[in-house]
Amino acid sequence: MDYILHILILIGIYTILSVSLNLLVGYTGILSMAHAAFFGVGAYVAALMALRFNSPFILNIFLAVIGTSIIGGIIGFPSLRIKDDYFVIATFAFQIIMFSILNNLVDFTGGPLGLPGIPQPVIFGIAITTHWSFLGLTTVLALFTYWSANRIVKSPFGRVLKGLRENEVFAMSAGKNVTAFKIKIFMVSAALASLGGVIYATYITYIDPTSFTVMESIFIISIVIIGGAGNLKGSFVGAVVLVALPEVLRFIGMPDSIAANMRQILYGGLLVAFMLWRPQGFIGEYSFGRNNGK
Amino acid sequence: MQIYFNVFLSTSIYYLVGVGFTVIYFLNKYFHFTHAIIFTSGAYFIFLFNQLFGLPLYISIPLAIFSACLLGCLMEIVFYKPLRKNSSSSMVMMLASLGIYIAIQNVISLIFGDDTKSIRTWPVVEGVNVFGARITHVQIIIIISSVILTILVASYLSFAKTGKAMRAVSSDPEMAKISGINIDKIILISFAIGSALAGIGGILVSLDVDMTPTMGMNALLMGVVAMIIGGVGSIRGIVFGALLLAFAQNFGVWYISSQWQDAIAFGILLIFLMLKPEGFYGKKLRKAEV
Repeated sequence: MDYILHILILIGIYTILSVSLNLLVGYTGILSMAHAAFFGVGAYVAALMALRFNSPFILNIFLAVIGTSIIGGIIGFPSLRIKDDYFVIATFAFQIIMFSILNNLVDFTGGPLGLPGIPQPVIFGIAITTHWSFLGLTTVLALFTYWSANRIVKSPFGRVLKGLRENEVFAMSAGKNVTAFKIKIFMVSAALASLGGVIYATYITYIDPTSFTVMESIFIISIVIIGGAGNLKGSFVGAVVLVALPEVLRFIGMPDSIAANMRQILYGGLLVAFMLWRPQGFIGEYSFGRNNGK
Repeated sequence: MQIYFNVFLSTSIYYLVGVGFTVIYFLNKYFHFTHAIIFTSGAYFIFLFNQLFGLPLYISIPLAIFSACLLGCLMEIVFYKPLRKNSSSSMVMMLASLGIYIAIQNVISLIFGDDTKSIRTWPVVEGVNVFGARITHVQIIIIISSVILTILVASYLSFAKTGKAMRAVSSDPEMAKISGINIDKIILISFAIGSALAGIGGILVSLDVDMTPTMGMNALLMGVVAMIIGGVGSIRGIVFGALLLAFAQNFGVWYISSQWQDAIAFGILLIFLMLKPEGFYGKKLRKAEV
């Protein structure tokens, strides 16, 4: 039973990450490779606050959200002026720099050894320790993420985002400050991703930089793309498929050493297959435009 | 003096990867991450032929280059050509190439294992003393062969008929088609040349240091950084970019510490992307050309 709950919690965490990335990839049409960095910053902020200052969980969530959105702003402000492919490379660069920082500031982040023994959350006197209670917490935060993302994309603000996804120059000529919109949504997306990081850190109770690499970013992107860019429900579907499907490998008796590689082959192959035959994903509405508009 | 040799050594490798990447990129205009896996496969092909099949080096090196080249062409035929026929955007192409990269890299891990492999069976010889720097024979070969390949590629692009056709396709595919150039064939040739260069890069690195399944990604990223710094589509730009990058990294290691090597490289990239995104020798990109 714990095993199934564990998978469900992971699906919840990846739903938070993919819904927040979908705001960028699916609704604004910008592909960020730095999402795992925000996931990591959220996890590290929460873990360091809990370990060093023993601060309450609710405060840690707020600090993680604020800290990540500030870092999102710092990253987004210069890089969002750059065009498509180059923006991807710029976020790639930020992702690698962030990994170097987490890995090399040994005194501060524990370096490659990571941070063990992160205390589990206590909310209003209720200690969250069992799998069931973690599933509850994850569900609440995932629903909150979904709700706020849904509010954003249904608002006039969200319509402008879709507009500049379809045609940036046109949005510009309608008097919208394109870069400002992009920076705002980038910060929101980063802040929501940090929620996933906070749960991850307190649930696993151990974090190290290798959980927040470029490969993790690509995995989150795959969830969004395969589930369907531009559809929030799609991100949930993608998370279920990509987190649960590899677990099947376990049941057909594949040894763990091979299963880890097979899992990556599986999602790499899925990504290629979707790009070839169904670039909009399962239920998406956006597929990074056919070349006609450009 | 040693540090200057290290700079030249890194430059050669970055340059080889960067130029191979550019030959494909400036025709197709999307980031194909599969280039990294061709680089890795060059190294693993030579391990396969030399260590597992027991062929001597002078046979297995050409064989490995040929296999890497073939792998690159295969990717173009199997994946990129159908994607192009769908008129997919550069983002879709890039995502597909990421998927291919991840899948094949893990296939290599499955077959050969994640641990470091080596083909250096010859005894360790003390390097030659050149102007007070120690440099091994292999390192000399790396530097010399990258210089020769530079001249070959640059003259091919300027003088050969297919080289000219490549530049034509790059500047305007539509016009090139009208003037009777077979675009698919030219793109295939570019994949062959680019992949051969990547394969050679992988082989040279595997002769000097060892190989791991993830070696290609790092090499590719440095090649791409060199390309962007230098200016996309310009051969001398890449030489310059690779040189600048190698200088910054090696002196950075000298003054700070080797852990920050990647951060230095990408820091430079970010500075360039923000201040001078067209690179040193590149043409200005105009966004309003819709």
